[in-house]
Amino acid sequence: MQMPEPNQAIISQRDALAQGLRQIVGKDWVISDDAQRRPYQCDGITAYMAMPLLVVLPGCAAEVQAVLRFCNERGVKIVPRGSGTSLSGGALPLEDGVLLVTSRLCNVLEVDAHNRVARVQPGVPNIKITEAVSHLGLCYMPDPSSQLISTIGGNVAENAGGVHCLKYGVTANHILGIQAVLMTGEMVELGGAYLGAAEGELDLMGVLTGSEGLLAVVTEIAVRLEPVPEVARVISMSFPSVEEACACVGAIIGVGVIPAGLEFMDRKVLDAVSVLIKEKFDDRTAALLLCELDGTAVEVDALVGVVSDVARAQGAIELKVSTTEEERQRIWSSRKLAFSAIGKLCPDYYCTDGTIPRNKLPEVLNKMADMSKKYGLDYANCFHAGDGNLHPIIMYDAAKPGDLEKAEEFGADVLIACVDAGGVLSGEHGIGVEKRDLMTHQFTEIDLQQQQMVKCAFDPKDLLNPGKMFPTLCRCAEFGRMHVHNGNLRFADIPRF
Amino acid sequence: MTDTQTAASMRPATTQDVADILMDAAHNRTPLVVRGNGTRAGLGNPVAATQVLELGGLDQIDFYDPDDLVIRAGVGVTLESVEQILAQKGQYLPFEPPRYAGLYGTDGARCTLGGAVSTALSGPRRILTGAVRDFVLGVEGVNGQGDVFKAGGRTMKNVTGYDISKLVTGANGTLAALTSVTIKVLPAPRAEVTLVLPAATLAEDVALFGQMRALPLGIGGLARRVNAAGACELLVRVEGTVPGVAGNQQVLAGLLAPRGGMVVLEQEASHALWAGVRELECLNARPDELVWRVNLPATTMPAFVEQARSAGCINRFFVDWAGGVVFSTMRGVQPEVDTLRYRKMAEQAGARATILRAPQDVLVRFGAFPPVSAGVATLGARTRAAFDPAGILNPGRMTVQA
Ligand SMILES: Cc1cc2nc3c(=O)[nH]c(=O)nc-3n(C[C@H](O)[C@H](O)[C@H](O)COP(=O)(O)OP(=O)(O)OC[C@H]3O[C@@H](n4cnc5c(N)ncnc54)[C@H](O)[C@@H]3O)c2cc1C
Ligand SMILES: Cc1cc2nc3c(=O)[nH]c(=O)nc-3n(C[C@H](O)[C@H](O)[C@H](O)COP(=O)(O)OP(=O)(O)OC[C@H]3O[C@@H](n4cnc5c(N)ncnc54)[C@H](O)[C@@H]3O)c2cc1C
Repeated sequence: MQMPEPNQAIISQRDALAQGLRQIVGKDWVISDDAQRRPYQCDGITAYMAMPLLVVLPGCAAEVQAVLRFCNERGVKIVPRGSGTSLSGGALPLEDGVLLVTSRLCNVLEVDAHNRVARVQPGVPNIKITEAVSHLGLCYMPDPSSQLISTIGGNVAENAGGVHCLKYGVTANHILGIQAVLMTGEMVELGGAYLGAAEGELDLMGVLTGSEGLLAVVTEIAVRLEPVPEVARVISMSFPSVEEACACVGAIIGVGVIPAGLEFMDRKVLDAVSVLIKEKFDDRTAALLLCELDGTAVEVDALVGVVSDVARAQGAIELKVSTTEEERQRIWSSRKLAFSAIGKLCPDYYCTDGTIPRNKLPEVLNKMADMSKKYGLDYANCFHAGDGNLHPIIMYDAAKPGDLEKAEEFGADVLIACVDAGGVLSGEHGIGVEKRDLMTHQFTEIDLQQQQMVKCAFDPKDLLNPGKMFPTLCRCAEFGRMHVHNGNLRFADIPRF
Repeated sequence: MTDTQTAASMRPATTQDVADILMDAAHNRTPLVVRGNGTRAGLGNPVAATQVLELGGLDQIDFYDPDDLVIRAGVGVTLESVEQILAQKGQYLPFEPPRYAGLYGTDGARCTLGGAVSTALSGPRRILTGAVRDFVLGVEGVNGQGDVFKAGGRTMKNVTGYDISKLVTGANGTLAALTSVTIKVLPAPRAEVTLVLPAATLAEDVALFGQMRALPLGIGGLARRVNAAGACELLVRVEGTVPGVAGNQQVLAGLLAPRGGMVVLEQEASHALWAGVRELECLNARPDELVWRVNLPATTMPAFVEQARSAGCINRFFVDWAGGVVFSTMRGVQPEVDTLRYRKMAEQAGARATILRAPQDVLVRFGAFPPVSAGVATLGARTRAAFDPAGILNPGRMTVQA
């Protein structure tokens, strides 16, 4: 993985830039010494690291504006960062760029219970929104597994999903309004605190969501709140083969049930987890599905019956249904502990994020088994089956020379297989730097150029988080000038990094 | 000349033909009216163009995969046929797309899927299931330079590049001529009932809506209208599984009992009722009246309606989305004066007032869509130029020249 060459002229102005930025945010909120910058060197992908030129922590939206204006005028790049849990390197710093961290913008500004909307700052950790409204019987639905730490601003930038997005949708479906600052420092208000507030103009809020910090810095968000379902029950269903478990996913949805969550774990994950939860899984079990159903008590009871029948018809050998909240939590604990359990089996693991049509699950899972043989690396599977969102966990040892590269290639092969099966490179973690160079496998040159033209409309100098998402930098000036011919590779000579 | 009096019309049947037409048009800088079958030509500002690019001929279903809850179809497939195909598998378009054919005096059977995506009109169920934008997974289209591009995909989750599918949804044909769309569908609820009860004051009714919305009862419709007998009533639609609906209906019946006079409509009757609400039939809009949609927070709605009624800007109205949208008619006596006043009131209430139907000169002067801030307008214009640098796709459809 290569990043654009840092601009030495900018790096040489570090002290002057730090001084200028301190005048905007106050002297304590610009971090320039090495020791304090070090924790910011990477996000959730620790394999990629870079020391940010400076770390800046603005305390309000006006300061964000001033910081961006200051950097824009001097041609200094900006990388926005929330909590740094991105699993695609989206928040990877640039050596010649300022890391703009939102941790001080951490207030829930307003809760409007009647209209079921909350206005929040971008640095608020996801879980804090639900905590702020739970006394009203409401919650913020999208629940990435990182919700204790990851910020709502980061969630918007990555269009984060979660276990419950099968039924309730991803971040984009829960955002009503965004206040954002463009690289020039100009602020835009998109949508507002009610349904339809964004209508009648282009859905700029829609394109900002999931834009990985490349289009604007989000400074405020109006989110939709939902009533907390009366009850939730989970069914644990074990299958003698991966194929039967996969077929059951389609069968449940085929009978018209949309579970709140539908998760898959293979035998390797179960073995790893069973040590931690001190519970044995039936020897015949090759794969386990966890199916959560929520709603009112009568409704959920009826759905539990329907899903149990489907599972049996699809060859399930054992069904466990939670009858109390404690049981539900216990059944879920296997899923929640999956990644840390795998972490105990191997020195390092690498997890990617391709998404496929649900009926292609067996095909792609079989291919993974072949790839594992090819690369000589073990892997395990634990993923959002209901969404077709794969998270293969590839085990390797970073201390062994060549292992990381093999793991990366294995991961890339999985993603390519996902695209070939009609899927996409990323379901919820984003492209960042990790999947950047695979974009050409999913998109044509023209598709990518159209996307980069959007980038140019927002950030014509390509100063906001450059080097992410696209395998080439934007050449906004050329895009504007050149005319265009169908199918011809227009910029065949652009250097890839 | 405007799009209702156009001379030449092209009706391609393939994406490649659309691309060829647009490449020529870009080369010659010929502005085009872009439309599906033109059934909603009355929505939005008149387009200054003499040539029409009609996409209704792209009417093939590419695939429908019910177990994967996804359908991809040419933009010219009619909503009616999509809904029929889905119904055979017990599924539906969750955003309940209105036709507004009655409003525009067109044939609702010819409304296209592409038109539904491009106008982003969402029906009464939005409060439960979401808007059009929430169900567009992927698109293919041709930009204003004749380039065929695709964006998004067919999976439920996707963060692979910018969400251009959302950007073109509701763009009213100003970014690209869409050629195919991939839509997430859902199982249609097995059971549906509507509770009908007498209305009280707007403020009391909105408070009641709020109480109901705070409960997880699968309420997929909350409207307030004047019925055929002239009585004002509340409509509460409950959807879900058979036992779920029965249970939720009971809870609601308890909550609503103090109002008295409740009538219950089951399945077909409920269906028919909401089809009417979706099509704004209860407005009884007369041909000489303007028709408006105002989106706003439900809690500010009663005061806004009161003010607008006493100012004569609202003649008849009804309320949907639990009070979050007001559909109203405006007398056509002094439309320019009233439009200006109504928009001003909406702006002061933090609302967005869209003209759904008005005489062309009103649309030309004030714009169908409410004005946005200068910053958003600039960003919007730059984004349009990123797709259509020559400005040939539905120029002026959404924006008014200052
Ligand atoms: C253990 C673990 C579990 C996870 N589980 C899930 C999961 O279930 N579902 C899921 O979707 N993801 C998951 N993730 C990934 C990650 O948590 C999400 O992508 C999350 O949204 C990132 O939020 P953050 O605050 O950490 O953002 P960061 O990592 O700091 O930044 C992520 C991206 O957002 C940009 N950004 C951040 N803030 C802003 C802003 N205010 N304005 C503009 N751009 C901004 C950054 O530039 C970067 O590109 C998981 C990660 C971990 C480590
Ligand atoms: C408690 C209360 C709630 C009200 N809620 C509404 C409301 O939700 N929507 C609304 O438009 N007005 C509503 N009104 C106002 C009432 O309907 C008005 O009387 C009417 O809109 C016009 O007022 P008017 O006094 O000029 O004529 P009226 O004498 O009241 O009515 C004239 C005629 O128009 C008919 N009519 C009135 N309104 C409509 C309509 N919306 N659609 C079709 N026919 C209609 C009447 O049935 C009558 O035949 C409400 C009034 C009260 C007291």
